[in-house]
Amino acid sequence: MEKLNFTYQNSEAVKKFVHVGVVASGDLEILLYPADETTIEIVTGSDGFKEVWKNVLDRFFTRYPLKGKFVIHDFGATPGVVNLRLTQAMEALNDEK
Amino acid sequence: MMKNSFVELNGRQRAFSLLDENTGREIVGPEFDFISPHLEPQNIVPESDDGVIVVKGKLDGKTAVIISIEGSFQGGGIGEVSGAKIVAALEKTLEDNKNGIKEYPVIVLDTGGVRLQEANYGLLSISEIQNAVIAIKEYVPVIGIVPGRVGSFGGMSITSAILSYLITTPKARIALNGPEVIEQEAGVREFDSSDKNLIWDTLGTRQRVETGIADEVVDDDVSAIKDAINNAIEQNKDAHRTDQADFYLSLLDEIDFAQPLNTKQYRDLYSKNKATKHVVNEATASQQAKTKSRGRLWFEKLTGIENAESNYPTVLHAEKDGKEYIAIVPDENNRFPRVRKGEVGLQEGFLVAEIVNKIVDEDKDKKEKRPLILVVDVPSQAYGYKEELIGIHISLASAAAAYAKARQAGHPVIAFIPGDAVSGGFLAHGLQSNRIIALADDSITIQAMSKASAARITQRTIAELEEATKHVPAMAYDIHNYEKLGALYKLVQDVSSWDANENAVEEIKTVIDEAIESTENQPTDLHFRYETPIAVESGRKATNKMRKTVFEQWNQ
Repeated sequence: MEKLNFTYQNSEAVKKFVHVGVVASGDLEILLYPADETTIEIVTGSDGFKEVWKNVLDRFFTRYPLKGKFVIHDFGATPGVVNLRLTQAMEALNDEK
Repeated sequence: MMKNSFVELNGRQRAFSLLDENTGREIVGPEFDFISPHLEPQNIVPESDDGVIVVKGKLDGKTAVIISIEGSFQGGGIGEVSGAKIVAALEKTLEDNKNGIKEYPVIVLDTGGVRLQEANYGLLSISEIQNAVIAIKEYVPVIGIVPGRVGSFGGMSITSAILSYLITTPKARIALNGPEVIEQEAGVREFDSSDKNLIWDTLGTRQRVETGIADEVVDDDVSAIKDAINNAIEQNKDAHRTDQADFYLSLLDEIDFAQPLNTKQYRDLYSKNKATKHVVNEATASQQAKTKSRGRLWFEKLTGIENAESNYPTVLHAEKDGKEYIAIVPDENNRFPRVRKGEVGLQEGFLVAEIVNKIVDEDKDKKEKRPLILVVDVPSQAYGYKEELIGIHISLASAAAAYAKARQAGHPVIAFIPGDAVSGGFLAHGLQSNRIIALADDSITIQAMSKASAARITQRTIAELEEATKHVPAMAYDIHNYEKLGALYKLVQDVSSWDANENAVEEIKTVIDEAIESTENQPTDLHFRYETPIAVESGRKATNKMRKTVFEQWNQ
């Protein structure tokens, strides 16, 4: 298990809390809270993938510069799954509910 | 019309899917990020809801509380935080029903039982869940759903037997011990865990519904499941699964445990079986020495009965000084091979239920209820193929339910632990007590599973498992670490398990009397465990915090 922390200078403020995913094998959950700064706190079961995480986050935030606090509990998700869950979190932000 | 699979949904989606649209409100949802404090110290990634989702809302217009266990997070295992969430939700449901507000609890069981990474917390929590379910059943039915993929196993299967009505899909299995654990404990010839057909034929819900372990198989479809729940609530269904001791004891009389028994043969026996009355005679002294155990030693010393025996060699009970002592003991020649070392097997749970139910009935109109003193030395539940085929979890549930009902009726229920207190055996015989006394003896094992099996199931080596026990007291196997959880009334320091000398016996009798006295004019629930100084300070800190949080959010 490894804990990773990232910060980004993003512009689009998150307005409400959203949650997606499950800490199942090969999956992860994302908690996204409104916050003044963009921080990403990751707890991952797979050690040694800091660079991969950074690449996935860089790419995602380049397209969607969400400003908020991300908490990620990862149980061995592939970069593809991570990207999918991040996209789902963004879609959940836009849901009228 | 296209079907909406219930099984394919995650735990949270399942909970909301059972409620009328836009009526669900989650209690202590993921935004609180209320994780287990015990996983990260073992290098295990936590989940924000700790694998249990509680949603309050309307089910066909009725107020319902859906408790959904997420099977894909740590196998749906119950730990301290997830367990406390379930217990707190059930207790609020009970309180509301007592106050005339009808609320119907529904539990989605997708669970391996105790979360082995929080072993002793899991056992405590599960006994507390069972206690709350039994209390609620006085007011409303408590409905269970076993959808699959995980199914319902371990201590939560004991809980499943206590629920009013159990609905399943064809994709689920129900058992106490999983095939892998039986293979580990009893050998591949007892149960081959690679034989998937055998597993599904034995533990799958089609067989289970025909033999009284589940009540209804419903297609894997959200609206079909919702209809089945609604129907069960409206018809006030109750399978009375833990009130069948005579039926099962009669059935067991017909089965030769030295011979094989297949699923078809068992279905035939089950359908033809007629219940006859069974009575466990009070233990009497005899000339012949019996299989030695710490439990037997202390039962005999506390009751003054030498070489105690009854019509059932593994279950002893006797009244002494107005207290009823009950012990489960080994019998090296028992006709049930899997209980010869003192394990709680098919007969033992039902026999204990007979004893306890009779006492409760006899004292029904008395103001003073007889105290029940459980002498606890149970190395585990019985691991065997026939045990699972017949449904050993119902036997254990019958004992647990009987003790819980006795306590709720006002009997002081005191567990005295001079020996082992392990897993399902402990859930059946010990954990429904409102006071637990133990000896500070290094020979005592107190846990959810043997090291070999726990290592196999959690995919660790025994060395890794032992390393984890150093960081998390609930993972340890000894009574000294157990004390740190705060559940004990007293840990007696100067008495050893194998040395029941006169002074030691007098001391234990005094402690038992003090424990009985401490229950006077006190609640008949299990709250004592949350309120000891150790529990408040550290042992149940997360439990108490979760309880407080659930209570605060209940009526928002």
